[in-house]
Amino acid sequence: MLEATRTLPFDIKDYLRLDTMPHFMCPGCGHGIALRALLAAVHDCGIDKDRLAVVCGIGCSGRVGGYIDANTFHTTHGRPLAFATGLKLARPDLTVVVVTGDGDCLAIGGNHLIHAARRNLDITCLMLNNEVYGMTGGQASPTTAATRLTSTTPSGAIEPVFDACALAAAAGAGFVGREVTRQAPALKTLIARALRHPGFAFVEVMSDCTEIYGRKNDLGEAPEMILSQKADMRPEARRDAPDQPFRPNALPTGVFVERDLPEYGERWRAHAAALRGETER
Amino acid sequence: MRPLPNDDFAPAPRCVETGLNILVVGVGGQGVLMISKALALLAQRRGFEVKQSEVHGMAKRGGIVFSHVRFAPKVWSPTIAKGEADVLIALEWAEGLRWLDHLRPGRGVFIADTRRIVPPFACRSRKPGAPSAYARETPAEIVGRHADGCALDATEIATALGDARTANTVLLGRLSAWLDYPVGDWHAVVEAIAPKGTAEINRRAFDAGRAWTPPRTDIGDPGTADATVASPPLAALPDLHISVAIDPAWCKGCAICVKLCPERCLAMDGPIAVVATPSACTGCRVCEWLCPDFAVTVRNEGVPA
Repeated sequence: MLEATRTLPFDIKDYLRLDTMPHFMCPGCGHGIALRALLAAVHDCGIDKDRLAVVCGIGCSGRVGGYIDANTFHTTHGRPLAFATGLKLARPDLTVVVVTGDGDCLAIGGNHLIHAARRNLDITCLMLNNEVYGMTGGQASPTTAATRLTSTTPSGAIEPVFDACALAAAAGAGFVGREVTRQAPALKTLIARALRHPGFAFVEVMSDCTEIYGRKNDLGEAPEMILSQKADMRPEARRDAPDQPFRPNALPTGVFVERDLPEYGERWRAHAAALRGETER
Repeated sequence: MRPLPNDDFAPAPRCVETGLNILVVGVGGQGVLMISKALALLAQRRGFEVKQSEVHGMAKRGGIVFSHVRFAPKVWSPTIAKGEADVLIALEWAEGLRWLDHLRPGRGVFIADTRRIVPPFACRSRKPGAPSAYARETPAEIVGRHADGCALDATEIATALGDARTANTVLLGRLSAWLDYPVGDWHAVVEAIAPKGTAEINRRAFDAGRAWTPPRTDIGDPGTADATVASPPLAALPDLHISVAIDPAWCKGCAICVKLCPERCLAMDGPIAVVATPSACTGCRVCEWLCPDFAVTVRNEGVPA
């Protein structure tokens, strides 16, 4: 599907809309690191900018796509996977990447995530998880950890959180992985693997919201937050027992699922061709 | 371990009647314990009381790997005090130097493998090709300062025999040249200790060590230092173009690059980050990868001819 690894050195300016830079994200926001890793992975996979389509939803993560010098699509809240599904079915020649956030993907668009994973259409979904709705004023999201302060949980969050990777894997995704922004080169490698995977690939990126979430919860400035990721991550595939509650502060990272499943686009086209043949007869 | 053949050893200490303190050191995983086990077994079979004490498994992560072997008609303490080791066997060069103060002044025998296993801590600077802090003394210098001993590339000898892992047996064979026990006794001990299927190669390694003759660099004659075991030369710095630059128009001053640079060559200048000591940059790209605003550019490439 994709060309061999490109050997030219990676220059991020080749992939950015330079007239939109510097971007609007807050100082120290992990989304910028994730964006660099995505672009470096696109470069590594040798994907032509004209053949790349990035679909984004609403939120801080939704703004990420706009800085990429490729075909980008800023869609409605929670629906980037739905738009991407239509796009990929209409234009199977494009590499479709969805950049979404924890609220966009798990709350507003939670239904779209499970069905996109179930269908296994060849889309790479990058979920930037900063554990909060940053753009709308810091409300609690489905991944806000217990006891964390947000504008809707002024006395500390009490809800259990979603393990997005487990959710995607259970819904049938062919590729599921997680990485922290602190390990940006490893994140790039993970995204490159996801891009090469033929089928629905889900990558959860643990990102930092420094200005709203970090400040409110006294997690330190941007360097302290990114350094603390090192203590939080567990660089091996998921091994904890199923009865263990998901703990955002003891994250396993790496690739959890990589399996060959029938890709939806091919099946859909074969099905359509068969139906067309029947009606012509 | 297999049961030991115990019959043909007469408990008759001859050569060493008052006992010996032997200190075996290494980096871990090299067979320090096998040497000490062989020595302990031999001494035991000769009717000595033996005490052995060890620290193992540190594998040069800043720790120490040693084994004290003491044998005498009566042994009280299991450890060897500073300056009281009769023999120091080092399975790695710098480890030998580290323990030199335990050797008995004026009388101790120093036996070392000249093979260098450079620990991460010897890396003073992460610049490619930067000089390391590894010991720079030549074997001739060190051995010349001591009463007796030798430095040989046991790993090389063992590799030539077919298994680099028998370097410890080579050194044991070298040690046997100082202890006046019948070679048959040594062979029996080595055979009893050697892991299954390695008796033959260990026996050959032992013989090679025992028969080793210094290439005219023996001990006490530092004037004829052997060039083959000289200190490694400083590697020339490769011709690299390394630079780091920060675009002030894109920097938002989050200080991630400043705090995470392992060489601390970036600094905050008011609201934005600047390159403070460009010469310290090793081109590792941590700042470039982690800058959320793509303001840092690192170049690390060969200088065009």
